[in-house]
Amino acid sequence: MVQPTDLQDLIGIEHSKLGFFQELRQKVEELKESNKRSEEQRREIAAILDGITDVMMVLSENLRIISVNHVFRHLFDDPHPEGKFCYELFRHEDHPCPECPAFRSLATNSVCRDTAIFKLKGRNLQFEMVASPLKNPEWPEHRVLIFKRDVTLEKEYQAKYYQVEKMATMGMLAAGVAHEVNNPMAAIRGFAEGLQRRLPRIEGEVDPELAQDFREYTDIILKECNRCQKIIQTLLTFSRPVSAAFSPLALNQIVTDTLRLVDHHLRKRVGLKIDLRLADELPLIYGDESQLKQVILNLLVNALDAIQGEGTIQIRTSFVGEAEVCLCVEDTGCGIPPENLDKMFEPFFTTKPVGKGIGIGLASCYSIVQEHGGDISVVSEVGKGSRFTVCLPLNANEGSRERTLFGPRR
Amino acid sequence: MSDHRVTKFAIPEIIFGQGSIGYLAQCSRRLGAKRALLVTDQGLIDSGWAGHVMDILRDDGVDFVLFDKVNSNPRDYQVHEGADLYVREKADVIIALGGGSPMDTAKGVGTIVGNGGRIADYEGANRIMRPLPPMIFIPTNAGSGSDISQFCIITDVERQVKMSIISRSLVPNVSIIDPNLLMTKGDQLVVSSAIDALAHAIESFVSPLASPFTENQALKAIELIAKNLQPALENRTPELMEQLSIASTAAGMSFSNAGLGIGHALAHSLGGIFDTLHGLVHPIVLPAVMRYNLPACPEKMCAIGRIIQGNPKSCSSSQGEEGIAQLEELFARLDVPHRMRDIVPDDSKLEQICRMAVHDACMLTNPRKADWEDLLAICREAW
Repeated sequence: MVQPTDLQDLIGIEHSKLGFFQELRQKVEELKESNKRSEEQRREIAAILDGITDVMMVLSENLRIISVNHVFRHLFDDPHPEGKFCYELFRHEDHPCPECPAFRSLATNSVCRDTAIFKLKGRNLQFEMVASPLKNPEWPEHRVLIFKRDVTLEKEYQAKYYQVEKMATMGMLAAGVAHEVNNPMAAIRGFAEGLQRRLPRIEGEVDPELAQDFREYTDIILKECNRCQKIIQTLLTFSRPVSAAFSPLALNQIVTDTLRLVDHHLRKRVGLKIDLRLADELPLIYGDESQLKQVILNLLVNALDAIQGEGTIQIRTSFVGEAEVCLCVEDTGCGIPPENLDKMFEPFFTTKPVGKGIGIGLASCYSIVQEHGGDISVVSEVGKGSRFTVCLPLNANEGSRERTLFGPRR
Repeated sequence: MSDHRVTKFAIPEIIFGQGSIGYLAQCSRRLGAKRALLVTDQGLIDSGWAGHVMDILRDDGVDFVLFDKVNSNPRDYQVHEGADLYVREKADVIIALGGGSPMDTAKGVGTIVGNGGRIADYEGANRIMRPLPPMIFIPTNAGSGSDISQFCIITDVERQVKMSIISRSLVPNVSIIDPNLLMTKGDQLVVSSAIDALAHAIESFVSPLASPFTENQALKAIELIAKNLQPALENRTPELMEQLSIASTAAGMSFSNAGLGIGHALAHSLGGIFDTLHGLVHPIVLPAVMRYNLPACPEKMCAIGRIIQGNPKSCSSSQGEEGIAQLEELFARLDVPHRMRDIVPDDSKLEQICRMAVHDACMLTNPRKADWEDLLAICREAW
């Protein structure tokens, strides 16, 4: 039971009304300790996060940036991205992009992926985006975690690989065909020349009119032979295995050469007009002939595909400013829906039916133009048509990257 | 014995005066109240004071939980009920409104929520080892002094014992004493409270632990009660009730630090066994107790006598006796029971009561040693 109480107990000199000081001190110590632990954890997590090389953002439900990692800060010069909208920074738009994976991720409560091309600091960069919903019952609203990985290089390499493969195959075919065609051509040419050499001998013996016909016909045969040889020549230069041989080039010449390749297609199309406006006195550019031909060919083929029935393709070259030569390919075709505008240059993105293309044309255009230190841009309106503009610098050393095809690009 | 003893004097923060109850919400908030536990009893609810206090809290935006399962001589199970409510409702500051019963219950609740266990674990002195929640007491009877004291008396139902729990931690943080609350009291309650306060003052004045700081308070209390009790019964003016309030508070300061005596030991024992109202015991036993103690402290009894008689002259040796006689006269004039047989059903249990009383902590501070037979003699005298 209870120990007997004595007078000293009643006075209780050594007993005071207990306050919470002791407990408070203990709590403060505990809190300090746990604070230290959480700080260590925070640092560890921060270190892990810093090790992530992707752009990372935490967004609110309406896509306001809540926090970002160091890669993001490296990508944007904005010192305070928090509170701004994601689409403000990435697209300079005032509304969310349709098809944004963040919305889908929140709606479906699952991880969503998507790719898009953003123009940042004047460069088109392709990002693979992963959006994962962050749902915490204690938060007033849901959040979404976005990773954006710069896959520009991978995609480019992939596209280039396909392109190279395609071109290599084409090159083989073309070389074979050229070889096969060259022999009969050489024979035709030889015999046609033989005929011409023999013409004087029969001139006196036949009707002069007939002789004239023969002369004319053999001339035509020879001219057409020349044309064939030129075509074969073009085909060979076009499909030459890719080299990084940059040489001074005349853009107009390249345009006309390339047109010759699709001449047959163009003539087949009824009601299609080609409006060629080549600038006089265009300075030489510095680049890879066969690659630039590819670019022009791709743009022409796309323009052709965009036009159903009647229409016009306008091809313009011009000298812009002091340092750029530009090529414009404008069609009066179906146009490009806005949601596709930023995907167009992505490798393997295509609106063409299966079997008509695998979607690397524009992607390879894009990377070729980039390699030439130039820029490719597009303006389009659905139903009205599209205009692709390729601008190439006169001095390709400025701002151009490594000239080897697979070299590093930083 | 008391000449060279080291003493201690501890009292809560006291907010005194008419209308001081208006500071309740502010005080609660200062102590960190978000959700107070308001301990009171049915009497206070009926008189409207509990409602008034709740309005004050509501107007000031202090949330509260009401606990009113308190009766006189509060029981151990009521304390635990209150503690469960406190924990369940996540209360913080404890506010007690009422007489000794709600205040002692509140102390018990605070003890349990701060220290756990059963309330019986803390019987005796200084057994509370951990702090209690902040407590604000509003006394409504000007008697028990529980709002000032380090005592808490809870009935152990099973053992039929009134346990004395003594700890400095039981002194509330703030005591808000508003004499206006006394205006609605019935005569019976005014008398029994005042005499309880008087008993506190007299018993603590003659205690061996009395110090100059407690003695002054005790004498002041005796003087105020002797002078104001009867006038207050005839005409309840705010001024008179204020004087009785001061008296009760002063008596509380005195007994909390100097302790009580055999009168309270007997009253606790009677309360434990017969559930006797504490306030009724003192008019009956106080004179007999004083007579028993007189030989041990003649000078002090003399001083008491002089004050009761309102006589400023120096002491004569018989003054103690005369004072006691005067007290008896005063009690006789009041409408209260004056024999023990009026409040105790039969005398068969007197011995048991006295045997139990000797274990009470109040026995320690009686100026004259007493065993159970001495107590029995006192009871017989008062029978």
